[in-house]
Amino acid sequence: MAEHHDIEHTEAHKEHIGLPGYFAVFGVLVVGTILTYFVATIDLDSILFPGANTLVALLIAFTKMTCVILFFMHVYWQSKMIWLSAVAGFFWMAIMFAYTMQDYLTRVTGTFNP
Amino acid sequence: MSTHDHYHPPGLQHQFEDMKQQEESVSIGMWAFLVQEIMFFGGLFTAYLVFRSRYPMAFAAGSNHLDAFWGGLNTLVLIVSSLTMALTVYYAQKGNRNMQVILIIATMFFGAVFLGVKAIEYSDKFNHGLVPVAGLNHKSKAEEPAAKEEGKTAAGEKHEPNPRGEFQWTGENYEASVKIITEAHEKKYLTKYEEVGYYSNGELDQNKVRDKVRIFYWIYFVMTGLHALHMIVGLGLMTWLLIMAWRGTYSADYYSPVEISGLYWHFVDIVWIFLFPLLYLLGRHFMHGGGH
Repeated sequence: MAEHHDIEHTEAHKEHIGLPGYFAVFGVLVVGTILTYFVATIDLDSILFPGANTLVALLIAFTKMTCVILFFMHVYWQSKMIWLSAVAGFFWMAIMFAYTMQDYLTRVTGTFNP
Repeated sequence: MSTHDHYHPPGLQHQFEDMKQQEESVSIGMWAFLVQEIMFFGGLFTAYLVFRSRYPMAFAAGSNHLDAFWGGLNTLVLIVSSLTMALTVYYAQKGNRNMQVILIIATMFFGAVFLGVKAIEYSDKFNHGLVPVAGLNHKSKAEEPAAKEEGKTAAGEKHEPNPRGEFQWTGENYEASVKIITEAHEKKYLTKYEEVGYYSNGELDQNKVRDKVRIFYWIYFVMTGLHALHMIVGLGLMTWLLIMAWRGTYSADYYSPVEISGLYWHFVDIVWIFLFPLLYLLGRHFMHGGGH
């Protein structure tokens, strides 16, 4: 009986977002791609601030990635352990970026001769 | 302990309590692998970050020769393949064999289209002397009018002879980079590394600019090449998955292989979601409608 209950539970659990949900996520991804393509042709670096183009492109990419991870990769319905694994991957990558750049950005020209 | 004294789903391995625990263990194993993959690509993204922060204009100039149309098309192709993959998992959970087979074939088709577009792009780099390894580019002799075969692509495009198949940054490409570097120089936007890295005695040095653009092409080829390798591995996985799905292996009780192959496929898609803006779209706003 207990096993049977478990199976029913996972059965309901497995539905995730269903077909309309999958197509909605797909729509967001397509719109994000088209938006990335056209925003890149506008000179946001001059209009806003230097680096604005890259920032906007990365923000859209992060949004798309979050959609894929949460819904296509089902992390939204997974246990805390898997949430932790996913977050840890990006956290360690952020550490790698931060520690590498704090070195390179503070070097004097000539140390690493161009 | 006997495994037959109580109800037992057919896909359950002995060491697990129930299907939920088994599925979770499988997912955690796959996520550990994916985290390793994040670090693996992360090293390359770090290299990208270091060199782009050093030579942003050379990166923008190099990026402008990449065709954002093909890059964008490939992004859409991969997103469609991700959708078909997610739907494969959906139908595997329902035990619908026919839909699984159809959707796996669709996923493989879009994966193959991606690699085909990549081949078109790589051959363009090969023909324009943009592969950063000497000898791996199209070799043209000095006396042979190179325009004969290339002339159709762009009228008036100059091509230097390239007898040894070396990396070249000449003609239209070089002129376009001169334009954006000079503009940035006048606005005092160049980094201190760029001031030394592009100029010799106050004059723009073509060889120095070429070497900085070459760094961009190294990163482009290593990152997209490694990504393409992941796609090829993914196609191998899909072939295996197709055979198993054809045999009707997967059902609501047992579909973990579909689920974790899906995780892999989506991960490869995510890498491309970042590669597309970071490699193809760097300098488009400088071009004001011109160029590639």
